[in-house]
Amino acid sequence: MHLAKKSKFAIIIGLLPALLLYTIFAIVPILQSFYYSLMEWNGFSEMKFVGLSNFKMLFQDPLFWKSAKNNLFVVIASVLGQIPIALVIALLLNRKLKGAKFFRTIGFLPVVLSTVVISLTWSLIYNTKNGLINELLRTVGLESLTQNWLGDTSWSMIAVCITVIWQFVGLYLIIFLAALQNIPEEVLEAAKIDGASEWVTTWKITIPMIWDTIIVAVILCISGSLRTFDLIYVMTHGGPAHSTEVMALYMFNETFNKLQYGYGSAVSVVIFFFSLLLIFIVTKSMGKKMI
Amino acid sequence: MKKVGMMVLGVFLLFGLAACSSDEKTSGSSEIELTVWNDWTEERPENTVYRDIIANFNKENKDIEVKIESIPHDQYETKLRTQAAGKQLPDMFRVWPGTRITPLVEGDALLSLNPIMDKWKDKIPEGILKDYAVDGEQYAIPANISETSLIFYNKELLAEAGYDTFPTTYEDWKKLIASLTDKDITPIALGNKAIWPLQSVYISMIADRITGSEYLADTLNGKQSFTDERFVKALTVIDELTKLNAFNEDLNTIDEAQARTMFISGNTAMHVAGSWAIGPILNDVEDADNIGLAPFPDFGGEGELGKMTGAAGGGIALNSSLSKEKQEAAFTFLEYFYNDELYQKLMKANIIVPVQVEMDDSVPGILKSANEFAQGGGIAPVYDASLTPELTDVINNGLQSITLGEKTPKELAEEMQKAYEKNK
Repeated sequence: MHLAKKSKFAIIIGLLPALLLYTIFAIVPILQSFYYSLMEWNGFSEMKFVGLSNFKMLFQDPLFWKSAKNNLFVVIASVLGQIPIALVIALLLNRKLKGAKFFRTIGFLPVVLSTVVISLTWSLIYNTKNGLINELLRTVGLESLTQNWLGDTSWSMIAVCITVIWQFVGLYLIIFLAALQNIPEEVLEAAKIDGASEWVTTWKITIPMIWDTIIVAVILCISGSLRTFDLIYVMTHGGPAHSTEVMALYMFNETFNKLQYGYGSAVSVVIFFFSLLLIFIVTKSMGKKMI
Repeated sequence: MKKVGMMVLGVFLLFGLAACSSDEKTSGSSEIELTVWNDWTEERPENTVYRDIIANFNKENKDIEVKIESIPHDQYETKLRTQAAGKQLPDMFRVWPGTRITPLVEGDALLSLNPIMDKWKDKIPEGILKDYAVDGEQYAIPANISETSLIFYNKELLAEAGYDTFPTTYEDWKKLIASLTDKDITPIALGNKAIWPLQSVYISMIADRITGSEYLADTLNGKQSFTDERFVKALTVIDELTKLNAFNEDLNTIDEAQARTMFISGNTAMHVAGSWAIGPILNDVEDADNIGLAPFPDFGGEGELGKMTGAAGGGIALNSSLSKEKQEAAFTFLEYFYNDELYQKLMKANIIVPVQVEMDDSVPGILKSANEFAQGGGIAPVYDASLTPELTDVINNGLQSITLGEKTPKELAEEMQKAYEKNK
């Protein structure tokens, strides 16, 4: 501790390598894409300055708005799905439950798995002809409920979101469990002595005491879902008919499939500000000074 | 604790030294190393041929070492474009002909092969070489010809539906599809998740049959339009096939390889794919004689019936920024690689090649048919080899929308024309 007071120099030296790497690989590319976003460039040719016309084109593209809408859907599904589910499971596992360790490992497993593995496995589960879900429905005689989960535009987004939720519940579960274990025993004991029921203790003591952690989890969740790309790319390629296309995927297609590097950069700039805005709104509305 | 740490460190150092010394052995002489990027990831006979020849080359040429780096086909071109944008292309890389190399040529990323073209000039017909040339400069040598629209069919299942030979008109084809669905057999196995098959494999051929081969080039020159009713009619075929339930239900969620597996396992009567599927199908199918091969039927249009859509393929291009030394080495490699041995071995691996190779009886029936189709009426253009990347994207996604009933053929044609005019 007193080392920090003594020499600012040591701190700077310590931070320098990480800061340098971060600047080169994160900050500089972001600034670069600001620059590219004003150009017309196919990646090979000479760049041509076109001002804000990329942005004009972008805001007029209905496909971009569709991808933004889909992205918001993913954000909402993740926040409303991942956080509450993770919280409930964490509260359960925090009690002296038999086999809590086992369930904790099971819950965390999807986080460790590669996204490609998850995507391919869930694609098989969702398959309309011989997928697990439809087979199950058929076996119990609910054939009328079977769907072409990923192939039907009205179901594909929901199906993808369920997978996204499943993938990340474990992550927040661990975060919440850590926070729960930090609640001092005495506080809970005092509540018990005062005759508070379990329900009241949870709502009045436990949740408020980990509220900060919940906000962090929500922000992680939002920024994570705004960046979501790999899972959808492998599962559906954004299809069928753009029904699961999110902003990052839209950017990827415009840039690399249509060879519009300038336009693609404009898209990423918009995603950047969109994310900033969303996180700003959320932190403001949840009433904490996170950023 | 400290002792253990030292031991671990010691072990690491030992391994480090060992690695160094073994490195020195191979790179001791002034050996030129060339990296070649390709998409030979699948276990296919032709990929083995390519790899074998490179291995032989490395054995015979002590001073040149060619290193193979393989990237899965679906990601290959994306990766190539990304690297090209960052000027980080490898020494040599597999490229596709037509409009797919033009951006690379325009960005000065490719080295012209004109200085060494004498070796191939008389061997490979000009019409095929032309695929890899831009403005008179040759940028790669074709290793094979791929036909992109072949109908593979299961003779047994067709017989069950009452057909001994494959229908030659569209009307009869639809009847066949209807009688197959009546018998609860999925008529055509299609895997369109990656969204190119319906365009590349289906529309290229169907449109050529209906509009003739000049239409596509004329449209891209502005002399014709995508809203031409003949082209709309071609798109309508996909709509009609979908409505007839000609495809498996999960067409948009499985990929091409999965669809091929469906066909090979004998559950579906037909599978439409290019010549790249011949090898895998012959390899994995239980009874090769049960598989027939047919060209697309007559759609009653202006195209010649003998034509087959396709393109030259298997070309390897060189990085324009190679040093003099590396350039020489790369030329030596290309001369070694694109040789009779390659073409003969490819033919044995069920690949159609651009040069004349003698065929014996061991060549399977469907390969012979495929070869006949290629010699039949010439090569017709493939859509995604001619369209700009942007138009390709529009038609790929549009065709998927048609299969979902979310877009009509006419709407797609209009959308394509609009995209074309925007970028004119």
